[in-house]
Amino acid sequence: MTSADSRRSRMLWLGGAALAVAVPLAVAGNRFAAFIVGIVFVHILWTAGMNLLYGYTGLVSMMTAGIAGIGAYVTTNLVMSHGWSFWLAMPVSAVGAAAVGVILGLPALRLRGFYFVLSSLVIQSAVTLVFVYFPQFTNGDTGITQIPHPRLWLPGEGAVELKGAAFEILLGLLAFAGVGIVHLIVRSRMGAFIMAIREDDLLAEELGIDVTRYKVLVFFIGSLLMGVGGAFYASYVGFISPRSFDVLVSLNIWLMVAFGGRGTILGPIIGCIILVPIPFVLQDLYMLKDIFYGLLIIVVTVAMPAGVYGTFLQRRRAREQAAVAALETSRRAAERIAAQ
Amino acid sequence: MSELLLDARKVEKRFGGIRALRAVDVHQSPGETLGMIGPNGSGKTTFVNVVTGHLAIDAGSIHFAGGPIAGRAPHNITRAGLTRTYQAVRVFGRLTVRENLRTAALSAGDDSLETAEHGRELIRWLNLEQRLGAVAAGLTLFEQRRLELAMRLLLRPKLVMLDEPVGGLSAVEIGRMMALLAELKSRYSLFVIEHTMRVIRELADRVVVLVSGEKIADGRPDDILRDDRVIRHYLGGQRA
Repeated sequence: MTSADSRRSRMLWLGGAALAVAVPLAVAGNRFAAFIVGIVFVHILWTAGMNLLYGYTGLVSMMTAGIAGIGAYVTTNLVMSHGWSFWLAMPVSAVGAAAVGVILGLPALRLRGFYFVLSSLVIQSAVTLVFVYFPQFTNGDTGITQIPHPRLWLPGEGAVELKGAAFEILLGLLAFAGVGIVHLIVRSRMGAFIMAIREDDLLAEELGIDVTRYKVLVFFIGSLLMGVGGAFYASYVGFISPRSFDVLVSLNIWLMVAFGGRGTILGPIIGCIILVPIPFVLQDLYMLKDIFYGLLIIVVTVAMPAGVYGTFLQRRRAREQAAVAALETSRRAAERIAAQ
Repeated sequence: MSELLLDARKVEKRFGGIRALRAVDVHQSPGETLGMIGPNGSGKTTFVNVVTGHLAIDAGSIHFAGGPIAGRAPHNITRAGLTRTYQAVRVFGRLTVRENLRTAALSAGDDSLETAEHGRELIRWLNLEQRLGAVAAGLTLFEQRRLELAMRLLLRPKLVMLDEPVGGLSAVEIGRMMALLAELKSRYSLFVIEHTMRVIRELADRVVVLVSGEKIADGRPDDILRDDRVIRHYLGGQRA
């Protein structure tokens, strides 16, 4: 990495952190817009986990919402039924969700491609059924309402409910941290290995990479991000039901990654920013909402198979390669002329 | 046994009713270049696959550098110092040459490709300097074969198993690859599967011949190529 790249990267990260704070403040006066921003931030955190699994490791897991749901339900139960502090319940349930994610991800060690997608769909459906059929923990189809916001202890003020712009800023910083974690992983030795696994896991193994270990690790980290996102989602929205974490939500999380650009840091963020607000903004046009959503996805996947940002990067790389090739051709021509 | 680099004894491999390897004994000493020849379907690649851990053996034993490796995961066998190339060249096609090499360097424990002990020397030797930014799938077959080789050599192997290293190359490229392999032979222990007899004759110190999963001959290349059974089963009645 050149010093210019490093400077640009630093500026991007500072800009990202500033946006995570500035955007909630900018829309603080409009609760509807602020709520959408909060939901976008939760989805950025979820897609960060999905991007690690699918974009960088090539594991198309369709049970991500189920894992987020485990984080949400366990946190809610610990807080509402056992009186735990949210700040203790959230990490405990996130780690629990990550452990479950690893166990449910075990088929990925044996199955590849379509077969793993299928198995993860079945697991997602089973997890949703667990949410429905264990009402003592989940209140079944009715769901759990009036989930309290977390409380923060402030000097002089005592315990204060986290709400409004402050909650959205926290979600923004959380999303920023999630993306940052994925970025750091991708830049590390582990990042090189998981991308090798995504490209050809047999060859990765042949090069001495412990494919099983890295897949398990990716499932743990990805599920941890899902679990944290689920815990915050429950407390931010104040209501959860099995439909909040069903297969359609998993599909949407995957879609946002694919739409924005899998295997890129910015792509899933772009996917969330474009796709998450659509159902909210078009809620009065409910007849057209799904048609518009579907058409947008079809147009992007046909015109830009690598996603919005992924295609932008691909085209830039192709231009750079063409420039290098042209330079090489002229160098060889100059050498030939000089030799004559 | 301890002096041998590779020691496979009575190795059996079955695919359903087919015996792909029939009590095959193969041994190789450090520094030796061992050739393996045989008709298509004779079990050569299957042998490499069982040695490198990609297939489990049904009977027999395999020792490498003094330790048993049968039943170990392929990545552990690679870390023990045994690496291989593939008949159909295998690189990360969508990654650049630099990214391919970096992955191998990192796997070998180096901090980066640039600081890899012999990374830069390898890149220069295999003439990949000008292609580092190119996507691997866009390389010529000869360049891909060199990249494949560079990735394996970055792992600092004790034994390199080459599965048809000149397969698909033009006559000129075969000549260039032969020069590379000849130099490689002076630095590494090689195990070479090849149909091109010139490669075997020039490179191998000793040759093992497999026919229908059975070892029918084992000896010096010149002796092997005069062996009546080898001529009858493999060379098709013509002396090489």
